[in-house]
Amino acid sequence: MGRSPFAADLIAVGLFAAVVLTMPVWIVWIGGYEALATKIVIWAVFALGFDILLGFTGYLSFGHAAFFGTAAYTTGLCLKHLSADILPAFFITGGVSLVVAFVIGLLTLRRSGIYFSILTLAFAEMLHAAALSILQAYTGGDNGLTMHTKPELLGIRMEGLNVFYLAAIVAILGFFAARQIKRSPFGLMLRAIKENAMRLEYTGVNVWAYKMAAYMISAMYASLAGFLMVVLEPYVATKFLHWSTSGEVVIMSVIGGVNTLIGPMIGAAFMLYFENVIQAFIGEQWRLVLGLVFVLIVIFLPGGFVDGFNRIRRAVGLGGRERHHNVPDAPAPVRENRGDRAARQPGE
Amino acid sequence: MPGKLIIPAATRRRILKTGTALGGLALAPLGFVRGAWAEEGPLGTFPVKGDTVKFGFCVPQTGAYADEGADELRAYQLAVKHLNEGGGVLETLKPSKLTGQGVLGKKVDYVTGDTQTNPDAARTAAQRMIERDGVIMFSGGSSSAVAIAQQYLAQEKSVVFMCALTHSNDTTGKDRRRYGFRHFFNAYMSGVALGPILAEDYGKDRRAYHLTADYTWGHTQYDSMKQATEKQGWTTVNNIMTPLGSTDYSQFLTAVLNSDADVLVLNHYGKDMVNSLTQASQFGMRDIDKNGKKMQIVVPLYSELMAKGAGDNIEGVLGTANFNEKLDDAGSQAFIKTFTDEYGFPPSQAAHTAYVQTLLYANACETAGTFYPPEVIKALEGFECEGIGPGKALYRAEDHQNFHDILVVKGKAPSERKDQYDLLEIVKHVPRAEIEYPADTFPGELGPYKPA
Repeated sequence: MGRSPFAADLIAVGLFAAVVLTMPVWIVWIGGYEALATKIVIWAVFALGFDILLGFTGYLSFGHAAFFGTAAYTTGLCLKHLSADILPAFFITGGVSLVVAFVIGLLTLRRSGIYFSILTLAFAEMLHAAALSILQAYTGGDNGLTMHTKPELLGIRMEGLNVFYLAAIVAILGFFAARQIKRSPFGLMLRAIKENAMRLEYTGVNVWAYKMAAYMISAMYASLAGFLMVVLEPYVATKFLHWSTSGEVVIMSVIGGVNTLIGPMIGAAFMLYFENVIQAFIGEQWRLVLGLVFVLIVIFLPGGFVDGFNRIRRAVGLGGRERHHNVPDAPAPVRENRGDRAARQPGE
Repeated sequence: MPGKLIIPAATRRRILKTGTALGGLALAPLGFVRGAWAEEGPLGTFPVKGDTVKFGFCVPQTGAYADEGADELRAYQLAVKHLNEGGGVLETLKPSKLTGQGVLGKKVDYVTGDTQTNPDAARTAAQRMIERDGVIMFSGGSSSAVAIAQQYLAQEKSVVFMCALTHSNDTTGKDRRRYGFRHFFNAYMSGVALGPILAEDYGKDRRAYHLTADYTWGHTQYDSMKQATEKQGWTTVNNIMTPLGSTDYSQFLTAVLNSDADVLVLNHYGKDMVNSLTQASQFGMRDIDKNGKKMQIVVPLYSELMAKGAGDNIEGVLGTANFNEKLDDAGSQAFIKTFTDEYGFPPSQAAHTAYVQTLLYANACETAGTFYPPEVIKALEGFECEGIGPGKALYRAEDHQNFHDILVVKGKAPSERKDQYDLLEIVKHVPRAEIEYPADTFPGELGPYKPA
């Protein structure tokens, strides 16, 4: 393609912005409603950040609820006790999340693979248990953190569409930043970690620092989502810290398509749409149906929705991209060496 | 502050009403409607557009309380049917303005949602109903944590929430909200009703061990039961908080067996109670002696659905209930009969409270002559009626708690049962006067009628 990468980014982000900003309009056509649109965008931010860690470095964190939940509680406590303005809450939440991410990262990033997943899960569960026990006086325990506050931003009441546009702007900027990261030398390093961390280490690169940076960026996306969640609804549920929240974001990423940035966001939209709109049609058995959908996607479409979309494009001869299991844009000779199917089909 | 804001509005309204009433008898009904519209701007999901009005029913379809949720939903559907077509408790409720032809001339329709026994999911479901479906009122349970979270949402959105199955003192205590109403009784009443009977049946020198579901309801029920039993001379040995939705209680039950307690109090509900009671029986707790006395199990909040789940283990177990299908007053009978005709089995107390709440809300709309939430709330506050259960029921204005007679019940032995639904016997009918308490027993604030 003749376009410069930056122009491609602008087009992609522009398209994304167009879809997101008009969401309150089109979601109503398909049986949704405004607050659902806001929730979808918030979860999209969460899933997007998750893909920076999972998609780029291949580190599967099973404890991202720790950041989502901690941010939500911090924001909630700030709004409840400090000020109804969301700006102080924003900065305090940012600070707290950085510290939490750094500490958990410090302790978990020494391991990789399943050990890393289990460690992150353990930390998230510890925070969840703490919120329900020793911190119950502050978190409200199982009741969740309830408050009478009506959040505002510089005097503007944050409700309805105001929250939506705030979340949408965060999502669009977040998407733009993620694409920049993906294309940058830093992003290349992250993908090199996924390919072979040990080899990278031997070339003298401080792998740990890169992993830590990716982990913290990802955690900040999760925190932003947690923050927005409380701005949308001044209420914090203990579920925000629960492992099922971590699990949900993993599932969203997988059904959307890991390492595609847009995929996990589509996954988030699908999950929330299913849980809130389709659920009402199915009734009691909706979880069963949702489980079935996951199974079908993982078996027949391991690359998620994005892979499905590309398969359709290829089928109709538009030349969609093949699914890359590892380094996404490795040069052709590398792919040839590895025996990628894409490289073996020059005629395509 | 709120008081200052409200009084002039009320006065203005009264003048307006008086004026319209003087306007002429023939035009009076029309005048009321117009007068109402002139003052009442859009608020929450008001005004109701079109010729149907929608209610939202948010019940647990999954999770520890799913059985209760399913029964609530059946009751809601029956309530809607009766509101539209007449019948059931509409014929016994007094005073009543219900016509059996919808509410305020509009046909009643409903939407449903799954709370998943989880406050966050419940709020999401309720929000969908409010924003997309424009429900004028939503109702549901169970789990007090869910009810409280929804009550706050109700206040935020200015849409009335009629609590169904929620037994925590907090719901109408520290977390009471102007837009939330509860017909169901609470843990405090259970304690007051159950205390004397426990002392009578089991003696005054018992040592109790509590296992408690770890959330608002469990906490307040433990407090209330501790207070009520200690008043009778009992000693509280210990309490363990168990996570909501636990399936294995053996570690907690072992601790109970190893202690010197001779009574086990299960502050559990739904599937939690079915599991903990069944496992306690498997541990032999129904047949052993402690401190020279037979060990006893108490389940302060009892329901037919739990009794069914726990099977023969309920024999002789005491507890309290809001309603029982053997009640013979006209109101209860009207409900029990129509419910049984419709579904083929008798209703649970969850169904009863869900049904009654829907009717009471609809009646308040008719009484107020409008769906405008502040007026409907005022119509419910202090509303006293009969014909929905035994005796008279009062919605106390100060905390939105309904006061009515409650029951102490006991599990029946398999040999005494007439059919598969005949599980509980009524030990005592506790009159309303005995369980009433001052509104400031639990400090809390209702909040404003209208958002500032």
